[in-house]
Amino acid sequence: MGRLRLVVAGIDDTVPAVRRLVLAAPQGGELPSYTPGSHLVLDVPAGAGRERALANAYSLVGEGLHPSRYEIAVLLCDPHGGAAGGSAWVHTLRTGDPVTAMPPRSSFAPVQAATRHLLVAAGIGITPLVSHLRFHARWGREAELLYLHRAGRGALLDEVAELTGGVASPFHDRADLLSRLRERLLDQPIGTHLYTCGPTGFMDLVVSEAQEAGWPASRIHLEHFGLDDLDPGEPFDVTVGERRFEVASGVSLLEAMEQQGYAVPNLCRQGVCGECRLDLGPATTGVWHRDLYLTDDDKAAGDCAMACVSRALPAADGRSHLEVSL
Amino acid sequence: MTGTATESAPHPPHYTSVPDWSREPLVQPVDPLGRVHTVIEVVDGDRVATRAVVAGWLAALAGAQVRHHTCEDTSAAVAALEDDLVAARVGHRVLVAGSADACLAVRAAGVRAGLADDEMGFGVVSVATRTVWCVHCSAATVAELALDDVVACSGCTRNLLVYPHVSRRTGQHLGFMVDAEEA
Repeated sequence: MGRLRLVVAGIDDTVPAVRRLVLAAPQGGELPSYTPGSHLVLDVPAGAGRERALANAYSLVGEGLHPSRYEIAVLLCDPHGGAAGGSAWVHTLRTGDPVTAMPPRSSFAPVQAATRHLLVAAGIGITPLVSHLRFHARWGREAELLYLHRAGRGALLDEVAELTGGVASPFHDRADLLSRLRERLLDQPIGTHLYTCGPTGFMDLVVSEAQEAGWPASRIHLEHFGLDDLDPGEPFDVTVGERRFEVASGVSLLEAMEQQGYAVPNLCRQGVCGECRLDLGPATTGVWHRDLYLTDDDKAAGDCAMACVSRALPAADGRSHLEVSL
Repeated sequence: MTGTATESAPHPPHYTSVPDWSREPLVQPVDPLGRVHTVIEVVDGDRVATRAVVAGWLAALAGAQVRHHTCEDTSAAVAALEDDLVAARVGHRVLVAGSADACLAVRAAGVRAGLADDEMGFGVVSVATRTVWCVHCSAATVAELALDDVVACSGCTRNLLVYPHVSRRTGQHLGFMVDAEEA
């Protein structure tokens, strides 16, 4: 699908470090619909400290049926602290600026067959869950929210209060939220699904608490913002047809292939979008996948990998090799 | 993990709606992560084999909170499950031992009550009997049948092909008229 051409139609900087951005078609009118919990991938141009153009995903706040505007809430992440610079760019936009984006995509939709929904958010992770709450409110679904944020830094608090009837009072202390979460995980009727969005470490805690309470994997749903810094990994070698080259530690397969002159389609460069999937041949010794895109079955088959995050695993003889079929 | 693991692709294919345990007798393991376990023993088939399956599960669940029901037939088993699930909380697991036909029917009740596939396990002692739902008259025919066999519908006498598809909601196989072009 082609890119959407949008313009900035509104900006709200009321909450420190969280910018709410409204995007619309230049001439107004209807935009593609999306399912609750979807995200929009914005094209972030190179420049202003960004070595290359980025494609960053931001969760949509709205509900998604015949929208005339897309609204996102973006936390300012400091490029000096290691952020890639996409959110800093969003914070420089002005009303009327043009923006291009991929149409909304979803990997975090409410489960239609669920009889009840338990939502657990931390910080800016509230964004896709507000989208869920709007959907549940419209269709009269049972939903319960636990929301953790720093005092004075809560995003979307008006919506949260409105959509939960004011009962979901936010937590400012992680231990308080966890103790409430433990209680609530033990008391959900069969048919409830759990959704969590927030920093990776927070989601890991939520998942481990749920597992501890006996929740099976099929009832637990996560929305990743991206991956934390990955292990640089061991070097390995690659063959593409007749050519053979090495991928050094700390260099991704995608970067190595680009240096070799191959054009590998890619988008997020962090194992989420699936754009850079490569087929692997039988000479491959093993794959350390590390992506969030392939299913467990795909990974077990071992015949494909995500160039941006996957690496070779050594065979019994110590050789680490990927045979790439383009 | 190797690049040539495709030989060990699951068989029968994982994309069919017919569970592997209704093609050949299989006993799935208990899920030790569950907090409460309902164990249902349907004894209208091979009682001895069914009892042995359940004994294995109960031993594996020693110390866990277990509700064990011995049921004379499928409808009693469905009633016992539905009763247990009324107040059940997420964290509950269900194990069903008996014929594949009984297991499919009890699974359907679990699905209707909101249980997920990874909350149910089955111990099958026989796959001989299947229930076939007629797409023409909606009657259910119960008989000793293999997949792809043909059986006369107990409702409308049409010759039904036992199609390799099982409804998750009813636990019955799809049956449709095999000789519609000729008849």
